Amino acid sequence: MLRYTLRRLLGAIPTLLVIVTLAFVLLHAAPGGPFDGAKRMLPEIQKSIEAKYHLDEPLWRQYLRYLADLARGDLGPSFQYRSTTVNEIIAEGLPVDATIGLTAIALALLIGGAVGVNAALRRGTRWDYGTMALAVVGISTPVFVVAPLLILIFAIKLHWLPAGDWVHGAPSHLLLPAFALALPYIAYVARIMRGSTIDVLNSAFIRTARAKGLPPRLIVWRHALRPTLTPLISFLGPAIAGVVTGSIVVETVFGLPGIGRYFITAALNRDYTLVIGITVLYGALIILFNLLADLCYAWIDPRVRLQ
Amino acid sequence: MTSGHHWTLAAGALCVIAGCGGVDAPSPAPPPAASITVGSALAGVQSLDRALDDTPRSIDPQLATDVPGQRVLDDLFEGLTTVDIAGKASAAVASTWESSADGRTWVFHLRPQARWSNGAPLTAADFVYSWRRVVDPKTGAEYAQGMAAIDNALQIAAGKLPTDALGVEALDAHTLKVRLSGPTPYLLDLLAQQYTYPVYEPAIRQYGDDWVRPEHLVCNGAFVLRENVLGSRITLEKNDKYWDAAHVHLQRVIYYILVDGSAQVSRFLAGDVDWTDSFPASQRSWLRSVLGEQVVNSPYFGDYMLGMNFTLPPFKDNLPLRQALVLALDREPLTHYMREGVFQPSYTLMPPLPDYQLPVPEWSTLSDDARHQLARRLYAQAGYSDRHRLRLELDTTMLDTGSRHYLEAVAANWRSVLGAEIHIDEREFKVLLQDLQLHKLVLFHDAWIGDYPDPYTFMQIFYTGNGNNHEGYSNPRFDQLVDAAGNETDNARRFRLFEQAERLLDDDAAFIPLYYYATRHLVKPYLRGWESNVMDRNLSRYMYLLEHQGH
Repeated sequence: MLRYTLRRLLGAIPTLLVIVTLAFVLLHAAPGGPFDGAKRMLPEIQKSIEAKYHLDEPLWRQYLRYLADLARGDLGPSFQYRSTTVNEIIAEGLPVDATIGLTAIALALLIGGAVGVNAALRRGTRWDYGTMALAVVGISTPVFVVAPLLILIFAIKLHWLPAGDWVHGAPSHLLLPAFALALPYIAYVARIMRGSTIDVLNSAFIRTARAKGLPPRLIVWRHALRPTLTPLISFLGPAIAGVVTGSIVVETVFGLPGIGRYFITAALNRDYTLVIGITVLYGALIILFNLLADLCYAWIDPRVRLQ
Repeated sequence: MTSGHHWTLAAGALCVIAGCGGVDAPSPAPPPAASITVGSALAGVQSLDRALDDTPRSIDPQLATDVPGQRVLDDLFEGLTTVDIAGKASAAVASTWESSADGRTWVFHLRPQARWSNGAPLTAADFVYSWRRVVDPKTGAEYAQGMAAIDNALQIAAGKLPTDALGVEALDAHTLKVRLSGPTPYLLDLLAQQYTYPVYEPAIRQYGDDWVRPEHLVCNGAFVLRENVLGSRITLEKNDKYWDAAHVHLQRVIYYILVDGSAQVSRFLAGDVDWTDSFPASQRSWLRSVLGEQVVNSPYFGDYMLGMNFTLPPFKDNLPLRQALVLALDREPLTHYMREGVFQPSYTLMPPLPDYQLPVPEWSTLSDDARHQLARRLYAQAGYSDRHRLRLELDTTMLDTGSRHYLEAVAANWRSVLGAEIHIDEREFKVLLQDLQLHKLVLFHDAWIGDYPDPYTFMQIFYTGNGNNHEGYSNPRFDQLVDAAGNETDNARRFRLFEQAERLLDDDAAFIPLYYYATRHLVKPYLRGWESNVMDRNLSRYMYLLEHQGH
């Protein structure tokens, strides 16, 4: 397994290189530059700024310079926020997003898992139809509707929780954004768990367990639950990478200092280094969590062999 | 400056007149909302929570280019002059000044008690260093040309002269002599701009770009920087070394960065912030019904218009067509119904300014029918009819819903009055900007916020060859009037020259005026020490909180 893991991690390097190259080329091909503003700058000032950020060099040299810096873990200075580096922006924002994202995933697993398994066990009942209908509503309701509603109820009307801000991960500041982010995931997890539990409950080894006269609770907990997790894990890999890198909507509505918003604002502002930095980070996290998902498969299902 | 959104409007500098002194008496304020009871004594805790529209791109005074940056810098630093509670220029680090008869040489006398936040004395040499830093091309100050009024500033910024050629000189520790390239009646307003604020040379030498971090920043304003969490909040605390600290009531100011106007509203309603930088125009009526006088809406020194390209068909050498498009629009109902009455319809380039008589065109007083008929006649004269309709793209930045609906209504107005088919084409701001600078666009979004309360800041954009003259407009007579105004020392005569110049713009149908911008704030009734002002600069230095219950 160690050899497999190392091989996968080494294999990630060319993938990340492709991501960096594509992002670099696409960004530089887009019209406009990072320091083009509504007010025209004097040419000498523009030259001075471009020289400071090496934008006056040929593109290939800028590319090689960026790769050399990247190899040292230096993602460069932000063009949008002067006097700030991309490493600093990520170091400040990622923990916020990771805290909210992982809390949201934990909520999704707890609530969605319980609801989905219950719906499968009561298949065809009102509970099943009711919860699955709610799941469809949960998946279909955008976060930009849920988040303001939560603020309206819990912050403005009831004054139970703050309407935003981030005070070092204090639970009161975490609850609303995490729940707003979790809602569609709760619905996804519920639907996935319902489907996979029904599949597993219809399989031969469960029939055997029933035939042996095992009590239903034991059948579910000891035999059925583990294999039902397989489809969930393939969903969770990219989902976790997605939520820990932030949600622009949640960050904007709750005023949180995450990095999700930069996926859009940095691109619009042609902040080359910031865009490439967070793209590489997102790519690396996707690769990492997919690898973890594959490792989990092998742990859950003995039939899976990692090669 | 041009812009598509409120926060990018900020991209240009703003300026105002400076003011002085602290606030001893409560200023007029709106009556409290039913749920808030306001007392008459100062609140025990003087901590102000302000919402800020965006993360400042820099809090280095010489590098800052946006409104959020200016708001924070107004609290951290102070120039020779500042803006008072009403947004007027007044004394700050300089207590007095005098100018020569030709208006080209000024001498400023600095307060001996002015100090940096580390206790070091603030001297005239600090201003010399800071102003040279702005115009030095190596600094990369995007607003270096803002110093154009100072002798040799532009030549230095263009790399043609050394920085010590700048027209500023420290006669002694507390006397600063400034030479100007021409009479500049708005100099005191200019000197309240953030790029003229002094910066502390030893900190910059020691820490380089990192000097703006809270642990290194030395400033001279009413507050010092305690915390700067990117994208989240900026915390300031009272600067006890400030020369007028005795009149500063607030002990702490927290700027919460809330990019979304609706998020600012939510936080205000939840009682988390006492002041918002803006609110969505589309929510005005609802907010007024809920919050009453806490909704503050006042004229702002900027306007929204549409540009027409004078170098390309169909507008090139086609005055009747340009006039037809200008005249056809029903500005009053458009702003009333489509912009919730937040903004006022405009007929001039210059927004209202004291002592300046807006040259409102005669056609604006015509009845709707008469104006429409005239527009149709001009449209026909330009060679268009129902069978040969004008078909154009209106290029604009990406719009919020309210702005999009407004422009759709403008297009519908043209269709119903003239039969013209105008389609809205939204594009990224950077893409629009590039196409504008290449003069590739025919009919386009345009907007301008004045840098300082003087007509020149608006007139310069239509000067032949100006970098922001996206219309490619050129009229030698207009240029002559602007030049003449530039050499005029008497402000009243200058204003008359600008009024004549503006009439020429209307005669030439140089642009399509739509509406004047407006400030939009939500303010708690217990927050005092502020007044609406046309430059929308409200320094925390003057503000204070009254005791209150509820939020």
